[in-house]
Amino acid sequence: MLEKLLHILFSSRVLLPDILFGVAFLVIVATITFSKKINTERSYILINVLIISALISVGFLFYALFGFYQQYFESGSTLFGELIYLDSKSLFFKILITISAVAVLIHLWVVGYKVVGEFYAIFVALVWGLFIMTMTTNWLMLYVSLEMVSICSYILVVFNKGKTNSEAGIKYLLFGATSSAVMLYGISLLYGMTGTLNFVGQEFAAFLGQNPSWIANIAIFMAIGGLLFKLSAVPFHAWTPDVYEATPTPIVAFLSIAPKVAVLLVLIRLFGSLSIDFRMMTAIVILASITIGNLSALWQTNTKRMLGYSTIAHGGFMLVGLLATNTIGVQSAIFYITTYLFITLAAFLLIDFLALKTESYELESLRGLGQENIFLGLAAVIIMVALVGLPPTVGFTGKLLVFTALWEAYQTSHSNLLLIVLLFGLLNTAISIFYYLKIPFYMIFKEPKIGVRFFHVGLLRKAFLLFFLFLIIYLFLKPSDLMSLIGHL
Amino acid sequence: MNNFLLSTLIFLPIAGSVMVLFLPITYRDSFKWISLIISIINLLNIFSIYNLFNRHITEYQFVEQHEWIRMSLGNLGVLSIDYLLGLDGINMPMILLSGIVLLIGSISSFTIEHRPKAYHSLYLLLSGSIIGCFAALDFFLFFLFFEFMLLPMYFLIGIWGGERREYAAIKFFIYTLVGSILILVVMIGLAMSVQDTFFSQEMGGIVHTFDFRQLADFKNYIPNSLLHPLQKQEIFGISARFFAFILLIIGFGIKLPSVPFHTWLPDAHVEAPTPVSVVLAGILLKVGAYGFIRIAYGFFPDVAYQFTYIVAGAGVISIIYGAFNALAQEDLKKMIAYSSISHMGFVLLGLASMTVEGVNGAIYQMFGHGILSAMLFLVAGVIYDRTHNRLIENFRGLSSVMPLFTLAVTIAFFGALGLPTLPGFMGEFFTIMGGFQSKVLPDWVSMIAMIGIVLSAGYFLWTLQKMFFGTFWANRNQEANLKDLDLREITMLYSLAALAIIFGVFPSLIFDISGESVKLFLERF
Repeated sequence: MLEKLLHILFSSRVLLPDILFGVAFLVIVATITFSKKINTERSYILINVLIISALISVGFLFYALFGFYQQYFESGSTLFGELIYLDSKSLFFKILITISAVAVLIHLWVVGYKVVGEFYAIFVALVWGLFIMTMTTNWLMLYVSLEMVSICSYILVVFNKGKTNSEAGIKYLLFGATSSAVMLYGISLLYGMTGTLNFVGQEFAAFLGQNPSWIANIAIFMAIGGLLFKLSAVPFHAWTPDVYEATPTPIVAFLSIAPKVAVLLVLIRLFGSLSIDFRMMTAIVILASITIGNLSALWQTNTKRMLGYSTIAHGGFMLVGLLATNTIGVQSAIFYITTYLFITLAAFLLIDFLALKTESYELESLRGLGQENIFLGLAAVIIMVALVGLPPTVGFTGKLLVFTALWEAYQTSHSNLLLIVLLFGLLNTAISIFYYLKIPFYMIFKEPKIGVRFFHVGLLRKAFLLFFLFLIIYLFLKPSDLMSLIGHL
Repeated sequence: MNNFLLSTLIFLPIAGSVMVLFLPITYRDSFKWISLIISIINLLNIFSIYNLFNRHITEYQFVEQHEWIRMSLGNLGVLSIDYLLGLDGINMPMILLSGIVLLIGSISSFTIEHRPKAYHSLYLLLSGSIIGCFAALDFFLFFLFFEFMLLPMYFLIGIWGGERREYAAIKFFIYTLVGSILILVVMIGLAMSVQDTFFSQEMGGIVHTFDFRQLADFKNYIPNSLLHPLQKQEIFGISARFFAFILLIIGFGIKLPSVPFHTWLPDAHVEAPTPVSVVLAGILLKVGAYGFIRIAYGFFPDVAYQFTYIVAGAGVISIIYGAFNALAQEDLKKMIAYSSISHMGFVLLGLASMTVEGVNGAIYQMFGHGILSAMLFLVAGVIYDRTHNRLIENFRGLSSVMPLFTLAVTIAFFGALGLPTLPGFMGEFFTIMGGFQSKVLPDWVSMIAMIGIVLSAGYFLWTLQKMFFGTFWANRNQEANLKDLDLREITMLYSLAALAIIFGVFPSLIFDISGESVKLFLERF
């Protein structure tokens, strides 16, 4: 008994940053409840600054703890019984989530979105849910954290009330609920097969392998349904474009990257312990996501919808590293998502800066903007080229690494499936260039409707976007900086 | 002292590009001068390199090597990418050609009035990446510059092009990108199959390298890796090395372009502004041919041997098909574009013959065609600038009002159709002679290729006769606009004509350089 208590005490100490999040959530809720003036301009800025600094300090706390508890992280430590598993990978992913959260808050601030106080409470809860998700190796905890993230996301999507917004929110909710149901069903099947909820343990692997391969495949596929939903991978992708179109851009930016970061880590852990050949299913999901995402994006006229379809395709690319099922595959998947984080945040920032001028997200409205503001024109070229995955941007390095891992896997396994994914995945870049380039194309090639009128975006905004552009180029020139960090995880 | 010459060639234009970008728009008249001056400095540098180039050794010269990326891939070993430049007899002529054509292109760009800042910035960026692509000795670096050429080209065609410029630009981009993706697949495969033997031993693990010199040496292939020459593993029923070679043929075949991957070229050329056409035909097509020699044939000699028929066949079909298409064109620029396809076919034929004459001829043909096609597109540009019309049937008897122009056109046309003492002849003669001497190709292949020469004489002479001889007349009352060449055009056309004659009369200027390297290159087959 005492031992258990000590264990819980120790666990709570290690999880201090996460617990702080819970406290922060409560504090914000309390502030909102007891203060009527929370929506005034000044308190809005204040709360923004407070949360950003809180997030940053949490990020530092991770680093501090990382040094302090290093011995626990190197092999990973199990906390709260077997419910929570904390290792250096979780820390890295938490830092990624923190970065995107901070970036999104700064995005809200520099573009000048007005949000009500409740937003911050929900946002903090969402980040908290994501943090927990990075530490799960247990189906139940996974489901709980996933629902936490989902429910917060549903609310965020309908936050500023509008007609399209509610439609998107309902769609999101219905699809989300369905995939959660599918996931629960899959989990129940897996529990029946293996008798354990821990999906990285020996037991799970041993018992899963005893089942007929196709049954195990289907069960796993259903059990990761909720994760694929967050990753917006086919066949759980249908919500993406509508939600992306209707939701305020910073929130889309967050939803398009942070949940994926957390989900990817769960998938990495799950795939690492699978004792069955799950490659066929993964390959189908990858090819379907990449192809459907890219082909549908071709016809879009709204930049946010287009980016929505593009994330579907990128969801597929992230899984390529997992398909390779080797160390370098995992590392390259982490590399890919890290770089994609910067690129996608920059992309949403860019279209929001453009929308400041045009108040529209239609491609047609971008006419000539690149001529009127050369900085944004250049930024559009760099970001879109990075999304395609061409040098000299880090998008290329990411693609190169995941496909290198895939080639290596092919070299050892000689499975033609992998080669097909390799070829089709890469050839899909040629399709994607067509729609990605539409943005710089409209901005630079098309003449503006009423003469060229120069406009400015403001120094602060420029600096913020420049930061991402710098990372996009710098990591191409020095990928080893990031790669060696990932290699130590 | 020579340690940074090649880097200067690459980074001077790129620095110029950045400079132009940041200069305020009030200096709009100085942009063209910046790009001209940089092109001149580059050409002078290239001439000095050409002089310093040692013709008797086969090793790479002017080598610059700097460590760039050392990335640990876990249990896979280390990925090593270098900033590595160097010259041998195969890429030296290409660098020389780039210097010449880029200078001509920058003179020709003087007429660009629309958004000169963006134009010259992109043009300089393109210049730097072209030279980088030829000089790179690291596959990753090569690929970087190879892709890097696409974006400026896309914008140059898409913004300053003709009516259907947007369509042409995106078509060009997608075609070339598909090609480069196939090359990328092979690049990944090669890097995973080749190790730097020296560093691997030193570091006690596998060091995957992109170094051209290592990739060309079978000793460095990791045993049991997929692209190892003795590997029996098959991909979709064919051996892995065959598969890689096919990907390369398609990839570089698109860039070359060889029939049946050529359809982007006429569109791109017709829509591109004159200087961009000049650069596109003069140099960019040669990147494809250079890739064929250096990468497809250089790294896969064992496979290339068995693909002789396919490569030679693609070459001969390009020659004949391009020539017939050129015969049928009514648009002067389109006719020249198809003649380019036809002439680039000779490069493939010469390469496939695998004889000293053939390969030397192919390199010479690349050089000669670069000069001549630049001239030909300038000719088309001269007419288009004056009348905004390029249809052959709209003009007659131009020789009476434009004698200087007619002389230049005659030199260009006769050069291209293969008159002795002009470069077209030497290239075609040597490639076909290589085809006849080749032990791997039957004679009839070369005989068919010779029909292409006859056809090219047909379309060039016909065009000359239709447009320049007879009584003077131009459609749509354009007679008054048809004045003879101005000083700028004289400079461009006649300096190219002079170069064509010099290199035509003294082909050894190129053969001396390429000879030793080609000999070494052929020993590997």
